Amino acid sequence: MSSSAEVAKGVTNSIQEYLQSLPRQTFDQLYAQPATCLATLRLLPPIAKQVVMRLLYTQKPVAKADVEVWCFPDHRGDLQDSLSKLSRLHICTDYEEHLQMNRIFQENFHNALVGGGDHVSFGQPMNDNKGEVDIALLDRHAAESWETVLHQLVGTPGDRRPKAVTKLLLASGLQEFPDDGGYSETNEHQKMNITSKGFQFLLLDVNVQVWSLLLQYLGLAERQLNMDIVQVLNFLFQIGSLELGQAYSVEPLTDTQRRVMEDLKYFGIFYQRTKKSRKFYPTRMATSLTSGSMVSSRKPEDSQGYIIVETNFRMYAYTDSPLQIAILSLFVSLQARFQNMVTGLITRDAIREALTKGITSDQIITYLTAHAHPELKKQSPILPQTVIDQIRLWEMERNRLRLSGAWLYSDFTDLNEFTQIVNYAEPLGAVLWKNEKRRTLAVTEEGHENVKSFRKRAAAARAGGAGR
Amino acid sequence: MVKARKGTLLECDPAVKQIVQDLDNKKSEAGEKRFILEDLDETHLFIDPCEVEWLQKRLDEILEENTYRFDDVA
Repeated sequence: MSSSAEVAKGVTNSIQEYLQSLPRQTFDQLYAQPATCLATLRLLPPIAKQVVMRLLYTQKPVAKADVEVWCFPDHRGDLQDSLSKLSRLHICTDYEEHLQMNRIFQENFHNALVGGGDHVSFGQPMNDNKGEVDIALLDRHAAESWETVLHQLVGTPGDRRPKAVTKLLLASGLQEFPDDGGYSETNEHQKMNITSKGFQFLLLDVNVQVWSLLLQYLGLAERQLNMDIVQVLNFLFQIGSLELGQAYSVEPLTDTQRRVMEDLKYFGIFYQRTKKSRKFYPTRMATSLTSGSMVSSRKPEDSQGYIIVETNFRMYAYTDSPLQIAILSLFVSLQARFQNMVTGLITRDAIREALTKGITSDQIITYLTAHAHPELKKQSPILPQTVIDQIRLWEMERNRLRLSGAWLYSDFTDLNEFTQIVNYAEPLGAVLWKNEKRRTLAVTEEGHENVKSFRKRAAAARAGGAGR
Repeated sequence: MVKARKGTLLECDPAVKQIVQDLDNKKSEAGEKRFILEDLDETHLFIDPCEVEWLQKRLDEILEENTYRFDDVA
């Protein structure tokens, strides 16, 4: 579906953006792990992948002109994008019109593909599985843990509120303390409030949610926990290439990585039978991290759509999950709840309330579309057009005023001076409004300083000219 | 002499502008300070930044009063 593909693009972009913000030295350390090389490759667009595969076994730099003929002329632009991405991720460097692959990346990516080298970058599988842990259990564990996190976010009363989760939700700005409520041990749980960012978060796909929390975790690990970011990233990329349902040994992990595992286990990314266990199992959430596909953490039969929207703005949701009902109640006025479904009405008030919380109409529409009932999905467009339009209109009617801080210049005695200032400020993008007849001009607050100094210079020039 | 004043530029449709002007007149009748500093054209006003928040709230209320609802009907 196109909407989830767009969202998927958003995620890979954001992890890529994060990677691009790192210094070069970090990359050299990162690429020392074959699993990281493979995961990075998976984040690349198809053309970039193609370029990497072709360059992998060339030792000498390749002329850029040669690379260009690999591609149809109409797609030169895509190729350029891919090449610049490769250089920003320090996979290829280009100098004097030649492309040269990063040696460290080249060697370790080769190892990743052929399984060479002496490393445990892809985890150390363990075989003493007594058959107690199967994929169904892992899926259940992942779904339960993640729902617990989301429940904590929406503020459902519960007893499982691990500190690591609280801290991360707080740091990512998804939850906050109401105004002056400081952090104290006694009331830390009750006083958390969900923010508008948190509401938006709820409407995202699970994979997107996981990644955005992991990115927050990376930031937190670097700033507050003094962790080695390379080890954390290596670990995240490593678990992305593990096999679902397979047990892995904790032994090869570094201390930092064990801490990461400790922190992240509440999110349902791993399963450990007991806390002291020497084994861990990655869940579907972990193994789909770098695959780019939207594998939901829920079991396939559960992840089917459940929402029906009719042209008369009625909504029926076939669900008994309190979480999904809580999310729906953000923008639907719910009317009745039955054993396996809820009914509601999409009303102006409900939508407006959601809008004031910072949720956009696009998010609502995307959510409804993504979770539409299979019956509804047979139609095109999936949601009734009237409902989509009306939700957009409700959003637009909230923004009938456009306000901008400004400085108003008026009472010009000289038309010349007026046009001079307009000619100066217009290319800067500083003019908000002007009227030549009235010789009045509104400039932006940022532009005001520029215009002020411009007028001073002009006045000085005039005075100088008159003095001579 | 050129005059430069700090304020807020308000862009809106003509209907909303009428409501804003009406609010301004009512304020003046009540003996309070006007908040419209300059009437620029059909869709632009230059207003006092201190009153922006109040204005937004008030406008929201007025537009709300003039909205047809169908919740109860359904």
